[in-house]
Amino acid sequence: MSHVDEGTLHAYLDGELPSSERVALEAHLAQCATCRAGLEEERALRARASTLLGSVRPPERAIPPFEALRRAPRRSPWHVRTPFAWAASIALALGLGYYLRTPGAAGPATTNAPQPVIVAEDRAASGERQKASAPAATVSEGRRRAPVPRPTEQVAHVNQPGDSGAANVSLRDEAQAAQAKARIANAPESVAARLGRETLRLDAVTVTAQGEPAAAPTPARAERERAAARAPSVFIDGSVVQPLTAKTWPVIDRRVATLLLGDEAPVGLPGLSVRDFRRAPGNDGTIVVEQALDSSTVIQIFQRPASNAARPDSGYAFSRLFARFVGRLRVEIAGPVSVDSLNRLLEQVKPLP
Amino acid sequence: MPDDIAEVYRNTYPALVRFLYRKVWDAERAADLAQEAFSRALVHRPQNTRGWLFVVAANMARDEARRAAREKRHLTLLKGEPDVVSSAPEDEIDADTQRTRVRAALEQLSPRDRESLLLWDAGMSYDEIAAQTGLARGAIGTTLARARRRLVEAYDAGLEGGEHVARG
Repeated sequence: MSHVDEGTLHAYLDGELPSSERVALEAHLAQCATCRAGLEEERALRARASTLLGSVRPPERAIPPFEALRRAPRRSPWHVRTPFAWAASIALALGLGYYLRTPGAAGPATTNAPQPVIVAEDRAASGERQKASAPAATVSEGRRRAPVPRPTEQVAHVNQPGDSGAANVSLRDEAQAAQAKARIANAPESVAARLGRETLRLDAVTVTAQGEPAAAPTPARAERERAAARAPSVFIDGSVVQPLTAKTWPVIDRRVATLLLGDEAPVGLPGLSVRDFRRAPGNDGTIVVEQALDSSTVIQIFQRPASNAARPDSGYAFSRLFARFVGRLRVEIAGPVSVDSLNRLLEQVKPLP
Repeated sequence: MPDDIAEVYRNTYPALVRFLYRKVWDAERAADLAQEAFSRALVHRPQNTRGWLFVVAANMARDEARRAAREKRHLTLLKGEPDVVSSAPEDEIDADTQRTRVRAALEQLSPRDRESLLLWDAGMSYDEIAAQTGLARGAIGTTLARARRRLVEAYDAGLEGGEHVARG
């Protein structure tokens, strides 16, 4: 037998060498000093590597209760995308509207008029694309610096170079959505008919954004109205943050909050003052800590003992927010900042001193 | 029949968190992702829960890394926030340095070598590592030998080279 390669030695040291090979290897080692030395060398290397890896392990902590998992099916990553479907359909509707409105533009193949460019962008693409058009780039830069909710970062653009200056339309709020709808309404009848589906969708979006009252409010509608009553509406990952009123979420003092959490200290963002503690309408032990990031930005940190099941009637509908476990608490976060920032903030949450 | 996930959870959770930690380098995030992986396992009910979990966890960590790179520029937003790191006590700073060094060393490994090493360290057998990485079982020993050697060499080189390597 020739000398043993290091891979075989490592498999041997790892106890993963098939028994027939192991017997052969041990027989060889018994009479080959070179390979015995090699084995010791590899043994030391293996131990060293193991020590290095062992020096970077996460802090020991209790395993969260398995039961907590069952109630916590977290958002799938795809969830983030679906709320933007409307943005794409608006872009499509506007683009078609502009295009078909152009005199003589009977069909895509026959026109010589400037072609509209429909761009439904996501954040990844927006930076590069917008370099091409100065006004849009300005808007985009301003937006990127400001702590805006994610949906507005998704911009629907309609570029029509030949259309007397009105080259860029950014749908950022209901006013512009309505404006856009009016543009579509101005299109010839046949066009409006052909765009029926998109226009309907646009209506739905406008209603959502303006929070128009419904004749028979469903719970979802009522929630939307409440959210719309607070300006500006705040979107978290496509869902509306519920404003908390003293009536539904009574303010409590810290001692009560601790009691409700099963004698756990409430958690929050270190270094930020606590505006108030509130109790959920249901009795599932949920409390919220409200902290002011600045004078106009309040971050809500919802928390409850991980061992408590959320009650469907608790008035607590935040299961789609970001969540993590801090000690024995399940913690979720909401606030009028970008999703990325919420994520970072959630990571910083600690028991309040 | 699918494994008993509660049982796998008890046995595998710490290893999965450790595995994830060495990919995302954030204990909280690692714990979150591990829970996410188990939550998905509850939905999918895979045949081989343990193997499935590590595949899912590796994918999530990769997505996470991509997202983190993309989000880097957004973090300027939080610059005004209290700096948690600067208030860390001395021993945590040491742990930080060590973590940075080992992390830099791990990043010198090829992705496949690194994956094999982390899976081995998470308690996977050669058979499981082979299934996970697509390597032949007979090649795992050689892969791990190379991975360990490179890890140790890169770490030592980082110590000699001083800060600029460790920072990488």
